[in-house]
Amino acid sequence: MSYLSSIIASIRVGWSRDFGWTNPFLGFSLKTIAPIASTMTAVTVLYIGFRNGTSISPGQFPMLLGFILIGATLYAHISAYSWVPTLAIAEGKWTFVFPQVYVSPKSSPPYLAGRCLAAFASSTVTSIASLAVAIVISSLLFGVTIPLILTPLSISLFGVALIVNILASMGLGFLLGAYAIFASKFEWALPTYVSGLLMVFSEALFPVSLLPHPFSDVGNVLPFTEFIRASRAVLLPLGSVSSYFYYLALSFIGGSILLGLGLFAFRYAERRARRLGVLDRKVV
Amino acid sequence: MNPRTSLWLKTVYARTWVRTKSIYGEPLWVAVNVGFPFFTSLALSLLYSSAGLKAGIGFAFLGGVMVSFWGNVLWSMASQFNWDKQQGLFELYVTSPAPISAILIGMSLGGILGTAPSAITLAIIGWLLFAPPATALWPLVALTFALTLASLYAMGMALSSLYLVYGREADSVNEALHEPVSFLSGVYFPSSLAFPAALQAVVLIIPLAVGMDALQRTLFSLNSTGATDLTPVYRDLLLLAVMGITLLFAASKALKILEEKGRRAGTIAVRQR
Amino acid sequence: MRHRGILALVSFYSLTNGAEIPRHPSYRDSAILSRPKFDYSRERGSGGRIVKLDAGFRLLGIRRVSPFMSFRDAKSTVEVEDLRREFKGKEGKVLALDGVDLTVREGEVFGVLGPNGAGKTTMIRILSTLLLPSSGSARVMGWDVAKHPEKVRPLISTASGAERAGYDYITARGNLWFFSQLYGLPSKLAHGRINEFSEMLGLTDYLDRKFYTLSTGYRQRVTVVRAFINDPKVVFLDEPTIGLDVMTALKIREFLVKQAKESGRTILLATHNMAEVDAICNRVGIIDKGKILACDTPMALKRSLGAPALVMEMTPAPDSASLEPLSKLEGVKGFTSSIDEERGVGRVQVVVDSDESAQGALDFARKSGMNLISNWRQQTTLEEVFVALVGRGFREREHESPN
Repeated sequence: MSYLSSIIASIRVGWSRDFGWTNPFLGFSLKTIAPIASTMTAVTVLYIGFRNGTSISPGQFPMLLGFILIGATLYAHISAYSWVPTLAIAEGKWTFVFPQVYVSPKSSPPYLAGRCLAAFASSTVTSIASLAVAIVISSLLFGVTIPLILTPLSISLFGVALIVNILASMGLGFLLGAYAIFASKFEWALPTYVSGLLMVFSEALFPVSLLPHPFSDVGNVLPFTEFIRASRAVLLPLGSVSSYFYYLALSFIGGSILLGLGLFAFRYAERRARRLGVLDRKVV
Repeated sequence: MNPRTSLWLKTVYARTWVRTKSIYGEPLWVAVNVGFPFFTSLALSLLYSSAGLKAGIGFAFLGGVMVSFWGNVLWSMASQFNWDKQQGLFELYVTSPAPISAILIGMSLGGILGTAPSAITLAIIGWLLFAPPATALWPLVALTFALTLASLYAMGMALSSLYLVYGREADSVNEALHEPVSFLSGVYFPSSLAFPAALQAVVLIIPLAVGMDALQRTLFSLNSTGATDLTPVYRDLLLLAVMGITLLFAASKALKILEEKGRRAGTIAVRQR
Repeated sequence: MRHRGILALVSFYSLTNGAEIPRHPSYRDSAILSRPKFDYSRERGSGGRIVKLDAGFRLLGIRRVSPFMSFRDAKSTVEVEDLRREFKGKEGKVLALDGVDLTVREGEVFGVLGPNGAGKTTMIRILSTLLLPSSGSARVMGWDVAKHPEKVRPLISTASGAERAGYDYITARGNLWFFSQLYGLPSKLAHGRINEFSEMLGLTDYLDRKFYTLSTGYRQRVTVVRAFINDPKVVFLDEPTIGLDVMTALKIREFLVKQAKESGRTILLATHNMAEVDAICNRVGIIDKGKILACDTPMALKRSLGAPALVMEMTPAPDSASLEPLSKLEGVKGFTSSIDEERGVGRVQVVVDSDESAQGALDFARKSGMNLISNWRQQTTLEEVFVALVGRGFREREHESPN
């Protein structure tokens, strides 16, 4: 069995796990509701800040609304699939699937990559749907027109950014997976923390320049920040095509480095876990 | 003491003990549970700050505290029954003489006591680092908080019975419920400042929304003079009391009906994993 | 030395199961049953009760050798009459229990023996108030389980081998104390019982360990202690030793016998483990497709067959079609076949009612061109009783009815 067929089989497993219990429409609907709500929470906070605070002028509000709508949706997208390897390992240890995958000829990386890609595909659909719904709701609720650029070119470039970001999200997934191999309990804790940190450092809700030094620098080097910036550059009248490619290049380079690091850490963790005898230890 | 009362009390105590012991036996739980609400509160605080509304920081951290309890109601209260069923524990409850209502109340008390350390930690962080609440109404705050938790956990009991029917889908329903209810309840912002009047009236059917409204009013005020009109707070408290009792009654009835239905259909002991 | 009684029974079973035993004249003395008369299910179908089955045994001249006759005078604790239970499945209705009658008495360890899907667990679920019957009645300690579950629950407890239920982050002792509180036990009394039962089951050193750190065997010991902590009058056990190592299973069996004998508890044990039934059950009801086919002491059931089974080894292993005529031979009550992969031979075990019938089966094998490499007679086990009743062994039965 080639790596590709292992990955394809794992993608199918991932989809079955997510949607096999119900019909696809209900499954997607339930997965879309949460990102819509969290995005709406962020934009409502902005709205209250705009109405009752002192820093946002009426002219700035529509643009900031677009800024947060895109950032919050893409943050939910990154969170939704970067922790899938952890989930696959934790569940797999519980069901004894993971040790069986580990001893298979291509071992676990193609399996985890496949599960990650399955989650990427479903999360892309739910993120785009939630972005669309959140735009409609906030336009109606706050009575503003959001200055979005929705042309075939901008949408295509946005699609490219989504695909490039797979490198970073998968890299993060493998890094978290390296931890999950050792975890015998609370295996979900680290991904939750990382997800919380990303909310602060990935420029999802506010520019990282608001963070004090050196925290702002941390945000600037994250490939996720560059991915969200690239997406905003093509979907909002904030930057130029050149700025999009600049951010995209940074996202690609950062993502490649993170993926390399993730794979290295995961392989190391696997070897060490094998030595310690925890590969097939059940989590509680 | 009447043997039935004694059994009821012993069951409540034992179930509370199991829940709190599980949590306090693993000190890491507190650190783990503080994480995500803290970062969410921090991010929203920075958003409020960037908009020039420092008072909003209080809303963000109060939201973090209450979201810990709401998450506990969903994951450790409602879903717990489903997990208990998968583990074979639910059938042991059913075949014992212990009343299911006592088990549910024990789970609630345990949940409140178990979530309290992480919620208090978050409240202290918010208080010390960002924004001490401007209020002199502490007894009213305490009453509001207690009634909010009571109705919230009564809702958890009612959801428990529903989740027994949902079975394996409970996790997906939980995921789907968590954020929308938080948003509609105005966990991180006063819904009275954001939602149209009609929507505000509709969300009052959610105990969390009523509780958040009352807590935000008693703890903080956007009014520059700091004065708070207490009429809406008293309305909220009355609503919370009515909701708590109704949900408690509904949960107890629903569980009885479901137990009977489960005995007929043979689903009480059916495990899906 | 405490295990001697149980060990002796179990080793007797292992000695006889598969060992070569020459013909013994005593088998000839036993009554010979012709197959139609032995079909108890047919009698059951007419709505009779176990009492009628017992009468049937007497009429057919079966010699009862029961060391447990004293139970006949004991108080009935479990009474089941014409119990039926249907489930609605995707492929229509499934009849899990089809008119079961049963009476179990105080202090008795009663085995319900049958292959997977025979209806054992359904019966236990009804008796333990988890499931309502479709019709018929079941009473525990005189209370109807369908109408008065609240009266039954304080008097019973249940444990399943598939369960091993407990809270992971709580110690074994904590879990046991928790369950004792669901029965309103004073804590001091609860801890006393936890200590006593744990000592008996070799669990004492593990009581203060968290539940998730315990091995399967120790978790099951916790489950067994839990089942007895409320001082139940009737205990329903569903495969309590499934998947356990031999020593743990022995400990648990010894504990169960002691509880029944010394505390007068009724233990109703659903299992497909024949060794277990042989070792600890005073009586056994053999169940298949929701019907109790026979009910007596294990010894009496085995003796009722009349003659030791015939085992034939042949190479190459015959297919099932070529063996089918065996079941039509006079005096052959059924057969099971298996393949010894290591030696590459087929083994056919034929349940016969007499030595003549055994000879007939041998002649058939020779005449049909099978290469018979050895044959012997084997001490009867409960498996042969089951084969005699339904014409197939446990494994074949499970293949036939996968649900």
